Amino acid sequence: MKIEVQDLIHTYPSGETALNGISLVIEGTTPVAVAGQNGSGKTTLVKHFNRILSPTKGRVLIDGVSTTERSTAQWAKKIGYVFQNPDDQLFLNSVRKEFEFGPKRTGIPPEKIEKMLPIVADLCGLGDKLEIHPFDLTATEKKFCTIGSVMMIDPNVVIFDEPTCGQDIEGNNRLISIIRYLRNNGKLCITISHDMKFIAKNFERVVVLCKGQVLTDGFCKDVFAKPTILSQSFVSPPPICRVALGMGLKQSVFETEELVGCIVQNMKRRNKK
Amino acid sequence: MPAVIQVENLSFRYAEAKKYALKDLNFSVEQNEFLCIIGANGSGKSTLCNALMGLIPSYFSGKMKGKVTIMGETTSETTIGNLSKKIGLVFQNPFNQLSYTTSTVEEELAYGLCNMGVPRDEMARRVKEIAKIIRVEKLLKKNPLELSGGQVQRVAIGSALIMKPSVLVLDECTTQLDPLGSEEVFDIVKDLNKDGVTVVMADHDMERVARCADRVLVMSDGEIIALDTPRAVFENEELSKHGVDMPDYIRFGIALREEKLYEGLSPLTETEAIIIGKELVSL
Repeated sequence: MKIEVQDLIHTYPSGETALNGISLVIEGTTPVAVAGQNGSGKTTLVKHFNRILSPTKGRVLIDGVSTTERSTAQWAKKIGYVFQNPDDQLFLNSVRKEFEFGPKRTGIPPEKIEKMLPIVADLCGLGDKLEIHPFDLTATEKKFCTIGSVMMIDPNVVIFDEPTCGQDIEGNNRLISIIRYLRNNGKLCITISHDMKFIAKNFERVVVLCKGQVLTDGFCKDVFAKPTILSQSFVSPPPICRVALGMGLKQSVFETEELVGCIVQNMKRRNKK
Repeated sequence: MPAVIQVENLSFRYAEAKKYALKDLNFSVEQNEFLCIIGANGSGKSTLCNALMGLIPSYFSGKMKGKVTIMGETTSETTIGNLSKKIGLVFQNPFNQLSYTTSTVEEELAYGLCNMGVPRDEMARRVKEIAKIIRVEKLLKKNPLELSGGQVQRVAIGSALIMKPSVLVLDECTTQLDPLGSEEVFDIVKDLNKDGVTVVMADHDMERVARCADRVLVMSDGEIIALDTPRAVFENEELSKHGVDMPDYIRFGIALREEKLYEGLSPLTETEAIIIGKELVSL
C-alpha cells in the first residue's frame, strides 16, 4: 500500500493550524515511526490516513485514491487506527466482543473471525481474558485490547498512537512481536512514539515532525546523528546513541554491544599507528 | 530526624480481588529524599502511590492491614483533605487528575487553592508562576478537555505543584510527554527536591531513575524485592527476572568490564558514560 501526503494543511475548527504543509510518501511493509514534540501534529497527521480527519488543504492519496473520495468507515477496512487513549476506543462488555465488533461490521466472514481471534488474542497476551470486561483490564492490557480489536479487522495498514507509554519490558516485547508479525504478514505498521530507544531498535525509518511540518525524515541511524536538529522538536537520540555522539563517534550507535565494538576497533586502530 | 513517610506492615487487597496487591511492606522515606519506585506493570507501584496519598483506604475500597504515616499523621485516621495540605499526587492517567468542574486551564490550576480558600491575588500569582514553570502559559484560557495528551499531563503536574506540597508523589506522570519535555518536568521535580521537597516517583525510564534517585525501591508481585542506592539495585543482573530493565549506561559499564576494557564502577548517567568512553578511545 502506498500513502502519499501532498502539501497537507489541517486547521481545526478552533482556528489552530496543526499541520502546515506536509509532504511525504510511505509505502511497502517496513515499519515507520513518527516522533516529535507534544502538539507537533503527529496524531493529526495519522488521523488523515483513514479520513478520521480531512485535509483543510492539500491531499492524502491511498494507492492513488484521495481519502476524501471515500468514508472513514470504508477506509477503516484498509487502514486501522489504534487510539492513544484506550478509553476513547473501548465500549463493549467483554474483550471477545471488542475483538469481534470490527470484523463483523466490516463484513469479514465468521469462519475467518473465528480463525483469527485466538491468534490475535495470543499476540496481545489476552488469550485467557476474552470474557473479561475491558474496564477490569489493567492500563496495559486495555492498550493491547485496542490493538487487537483493530488487528482483527485485518487492515493493510495499522497505525499505533503512542503504544509504548507506560509499558514495561514484557509489554515492549509484546509490541515488538506484534510489529514483526504485521510486517511478516505483509502489513504496513506506522507507530507514533516518544520512546526513542524503542524507535531506534525496531524501526528503520523515522519521520520527525515539528510545529506541523516535517523536521527530518530518514533512516534512524541518520536522523539520530543530528541531535541539534532533533532538539528543535524536543526529541533526543536514545541513551547509547547520545553516549556515542558525546564521545565524538561519527556514526549513530543504538546497542551497547555495538558501542563497545566501536571502542575496541578504535583502540586497535590506534595501537597500529 | 523522623521519617516523612513511614510504611509499617502495609498490605492491601482491592474489594473483589483475590490476591493482595501489596504484601506486608515496610519502609520509610526520609525528609528531602528522592525515592524511585520501579517494577513491572501490575507489581503494585500505583497501589502503593495511592496508599501514600491516603486514597487507600478512604477512596479505594478493600482490605488494608498495617499503617502509613505521613509527617506524623496516620492516613487511615485522617481525611484526604488534611493529607492534601502535605502531600501531592500526580496520577498516572492525567485525565484522572482533572476536576471536570472547570472550563479553563487557569481555573483548573487554581482549583486546589480555591478549595483551600487561598486569597484571590495570591491564587492568580501562583497560577501565573506555575503556568510558566510547566510551560502552559499559552493554554490558560483553553478548556482542559481540548488539550493534547501531553498538555493535559502538564496541567495535571501543575495542579499538584501549585499546592506546594512537602511530599510529592508522581505515578508515571510523563508517559505522554515528548523526550525533552519529560526531562524538563524532571528537572523541575529535581529542583523542588533540592529546595527540600520529598519526592516519591514511580517510573519506567531506568536511565532517569538512575540519574535522579537517592534510593530505588523495586516492587514485584506486591512485595519489595530491593531497596537500595541506584547503583546497588541496577548492577544486579537478576533484576530483569522481575520485568525491570537495566539502564543502558549500567549495561555499557558491564559490557566494558566483560571485554576487560574497564575495571571501575558502571556509569549511572550519560555524562559519566561519555567520560569513560572518551578515556578509552583517546588511549
